[in-house]
Amino acid sequence: MNTTLGTRIAPRPLGLSESWRRRLPLLPALVFTILLTQVPFVMSIWYSLTDWKVVPPTPRQFVGLGNYGKLVSDHFFRQAAWTSIELTVVPVLGSILLGTAFALLLDRKFFGQGLVRTLLITPFLLMPVVVGLIWKNQMFHGLYGVINWVIEKLGGTPVEFISRYPTWAIAATLIWQWTPFMMLIILAGLQSQPGDVLEAAKVDGATPFGIFRQLTLGHLRPYMELGILLGTVYLIQVYDQVAVMTGGGPGSTNLPYFVFERSIGGGWDFGRASSYSIVVVIASIIIATVALRVLSGLLKGEEIA
Amino acid sequence: MRGTVRPWSAAVLFAVVVGLAAGCGGSSKSSSSSGSSSSNGGGKGGSINVAIVDNPQMKDIAALTPKLFTAKSGIKVNYTVLDEGTLREVTTRDVAAGGRQFDVAMIGMYEAPQFGKAGNIIDLTPKATADPTYNLGDLIPSVRNGLSADGKLYAAPFYGESSFLMYRKDILKKDGVTMPPHPTWAQVAAIARKVNTPNMAGICLRGKPGWGDLGAALTTVLNTFGATWWSAKPDGTVDKAQVNQPAFKQALQFYTGLIKDAGEKDAANSSFNECLSQYKDGKVAMWYDATVAAGLLEASDSPVKGKNGYAAAPVNKTPASGWLWSWALAIPKTTSKQDLAWKYISFATGPQYIKEAGAQISGGWPAIPPGTRKSTYEIPQYKQAARAFAKPTLAAMSAAPINNPGTTKRPGVPGVQYVGIPEFQDVGNQCTQQFSAVIAGRTPIDAALKNCQDIASQVGH
Amino acid sequence: MSDGPSPRVVGESRSVNGAFGLLAWVVGLAYFFPVFWMVLNSFKSELDANASPKLFFHPTLDRYRDVTKSTTGLLSFGEAFTNSAVVVLVSTLIVLTLAIPAAYALAIRPVAKWRDVLFFFISTKFLPVVASVLPIWILAKNLNLLNTRMALIILYTGINLPLAVWMLRSFFREIPRELIEAAEIDGAGLKGQLTSIILPMAAPGIAATALLCVIFAWNEFFYAVQLNPVQGSTVPIWVTTNISTRGDFLAKLSAASVLACIPVVLAGWIAQKRMIRGLAMGAIK
Repeated sequence: MNTTLGTRIAPRPLGLSESWRRRLPLLPALVFTILLTQVPFVMSIWYSLTDWKVVPPTPRQFVGLGNYGKLVSDHFFRQAAWTSIELTVVPVLGSILLGTAFALLLDRKFFGQGLVRTLLITPFLLMPVVVGLIWKNQMFHGLYGVINWVIEKLGGTPVEFISRYPTWAIAATLIWQWTPFMMLIILAGLQSQPGDVLEAAKVDGATPFGIFRQLTLGHLRPYMELGILLGTVYLIQVYDQVAVMTGGGPGSTNLPYFVFERSIGGGWDFGRASSYSIVVVIASIIIATVALRVLSGLLKGEEIA
Repeated sequence: MRGTVRPWSAAVLFAVVVGLAAGCGGSSKSSSSSGSSSSNGGGKGGSINVAIVDNPQMKDIAALTPKLFTAKSGIKVNYTVLDEGTLREVTTRDVAAGGRQFDVAMIGMYEAPQFGKAGNIIDLTPKATADPTYNLGDLIPSVRNGLSADGKLYAAPFYGESSFLMYRKDILKKDGVTMPPHPTWAQVAAIARKVNTPNMAGICLRGKPGWGDLGAALTTVLNTFGATWWSAKPDGTVDKAQVNQPAFKQALQFYTGLIKDAGEKDAANSSFNECLSQYKDGKVAMWYDATVAAGLLEASDSPVKGKNGYAAAPVNKTPASGWLWSWALAIPKTTSKQDLAWKYISFATGPQYIKEAGAQISGGWPAIPPGTRKSTYEIPQYKQAARAFAKPTLAAMSAAPINNPGTTKRPGVPGVQYVGIPEFQDVGNQCTQQFSAVIAGRTPIDAALKNCQDIASQVGH
Repeated sequence: MSDGPSPRVVGESRSVNGAFGLLAWVVGLAYFFPVFWMVLNSFKSELDANASPKLFFHPTLDRYRDVTKSTTGLLSFGEAFTNSAVVVLVSTLIVLTLAIPAAYALAIRPVAKWRDVLFFFISTKFLPVVASVLPIWILAKNLNLLNTRMALIILYTGINLPLAVWMLRSFFREIPRELIEAAEIDGAGLKGQLTSIILPMAAPGIAATALLCVIFAWNEFFYAVQLNPVQGSTVPIWVTTNISTRGDFLAKLSAASVLACIPVVLAGWIAQKRMIRGLAMGAIK
């Protein structure tokens, strides 16, 4: 199928009734989302302007921007922000690269192709808590982990992955879980590639690598961008794996875990925790805007009737 | 368009799989679970919601409740089993912010006096005194103290533990060393370094971040080395952070140095369960941790059964250093079912349950909830089944220096392996992340101490 | 387009293709290994599971018996499955009911500022869940929704709605305009257009979207434990009740995890081809 085909409906001047007729189907979803996300968001903004501790219970006091003032000088917050960037960028890029490689492997006919694809998508279907526990206790474990068992059998010295490289261990686990998702998207891209163009290039004597670089990659670009966008939205929120694998240990506290620690995870300082989360939301939205509007062509070039 | 309907077959199949699974495993009362907590009627005596932690002893009582409690009282008990961290999140918010999710909440010794003082949970003393079957005077005094504030008992202990040193008698004997019954840390460190081999570490010490993990073990060492997290004003509030003091550094250096020289592998990632596995697997010769571990080491399926010796928690400057912890049942002020709640607590933490449970739980007598009552240690079957560790456990519980853990006055309510102020949970979590990084060899000790001093200094300002 | 992938690089020798096939198998098996290991551990005793990797052991079903044993008053396997099934299926149905008209209004007869609306939907995913849980808990408390399946149904609908709107909009863009126009000329309203043209044509895409919603909702842990940890709780909570702070639990946890993951894994396995087709249909344009 091809979007450019067919005549588009000529733009009509939108009358009031027409514009409302167009809005009507959107309203239920929009109202639901606004109620469910903006009410808590506004409540969070209000909390962030107060000094409010639940333990010990203290009367909530309005402190204006006091919490935000403290936040600027908090180097633990900056550290967490940096870890958050690491724990988003590394897994997103890692899984998109690995996912592309897997998709290219699967885009050929071979014996048991469907079975291999089945094996490859499974990690994405597992519960994040379970994935964290499997990798921590059964793969990365310094003493009983399978990886170290193999390393020792090969004559190497065991590595204490979680203690020595906590952030990387979490990132590797996230890559493992999210690669299948990227693979599915890229595979979809590969299959929507028009075969006749490739055929023609082949006839023209292009090398397989040349075809890949010049045709396939260009075709896959929007699919990769979609993968990066959706991956970022979910991976920036990662909490389960950090909690289960390292408990925020040596340098692996990302922003969600940091906010968790300040609030229900033991800090019980809802005023300050809310100010952190407001900053996180605003920063995320700025980054996302830049990503969406500048880097991405996802919404560009769409002429809408 | 052929095949456009087929995708739905996946959804249908999903529904069928789920439906079958639910149907097969479903018990008779899945429908009663959906409504709001307060409205589901349960048995003729009413029903209560109880939150408990995921220790084996709690799961045992959950299994025995229908037979031993509901059958007699008619009160139906709905349990929620959560891990320690989640239980603390859920119950603290429920109790402190009035969520009314639970009629009985299991809380720790750290929370009980603090919640009690804040007025979030009710004083159990009148109910406990009036209840002849409860026998308040039978509680181990240090445990009762730790769960009380201003002489009022705010939570009834279900389970208690202290800390002590467990060691492999066979290994120490082979190396020609003996462990004194009341060792000093210097003696323990010397033995650990001596018996340490590439295949078997000298000692297992907690290194995993968390105020209840590394924080607990390390704080007992800090205490006995004369260090403290904060100094206290005369009125018992926090004065100044003391993490930058020489004694603190000396204790931390000792702890991390011992792990580096003779500690377990992957120490920055180890706490109770990790050390338990390594000890049972013969990968460590000694282990400093909770007294409840002894029951697991001496269990019938344990490979190290009968090979273990038990010594008091090692000391340096103080006469005793073992920690004191209890999981205890409290009644949130917001519940409307105080009487049902107490009936349940009286059953669960009374002497009768301990006597009945021994014969009925899968682990047998060694697995009954320990460390709450003196009478437990007089039951003949328990004395026989737990002969290897019952005495050292009771001794450790009784000796735990709950009111005077270190060499200086502590702020807040009493506590040994923690400081009894609300901020400790947060400070302990953050600082142990720093110290765990030292153990992992990622951060120099001075940088970690400086960061921790900064964190601790925010308290009281 | 053919149902399965076809060889893209034509004219290569059989041996090259064979080598790639072998490589794909090696990669697939290696990638699946952690899952295989978890399944293997679920048949071990705790002692074997918490020690050096063993290939030979006495397989036992005892861990499965342990985790499925039901006790009155404790969240059982069956109850958790029922609750999860209700929460996941109902919330996914609501998501589709809300997202399909919304996607129509963003793709086929777009509202004026459709880009901003779409961006708004995605931007709601950036509010950290851990931060929003407190206001949500307070709202749920005041609305008497704590410990109810309803709370989770509403929240999971909210979690998945932005994703569903985003994806469905892309799928709807793929539908040839002249078909919709023709229907419109025949006098079909929104409902008529949806049932006669849009839904049938976008079915693979809708199925792919629904499956993603099901995956995310089935595996959700944080909101479930914060808002509904008591009796009416879901499968992820049931899984974690098999963890123990004082004692070994890996084998039991593995058994519980296997049971918990089966429905979604099976659904994913069965629907994978359609999911790719759905995504290929127009996740982009």
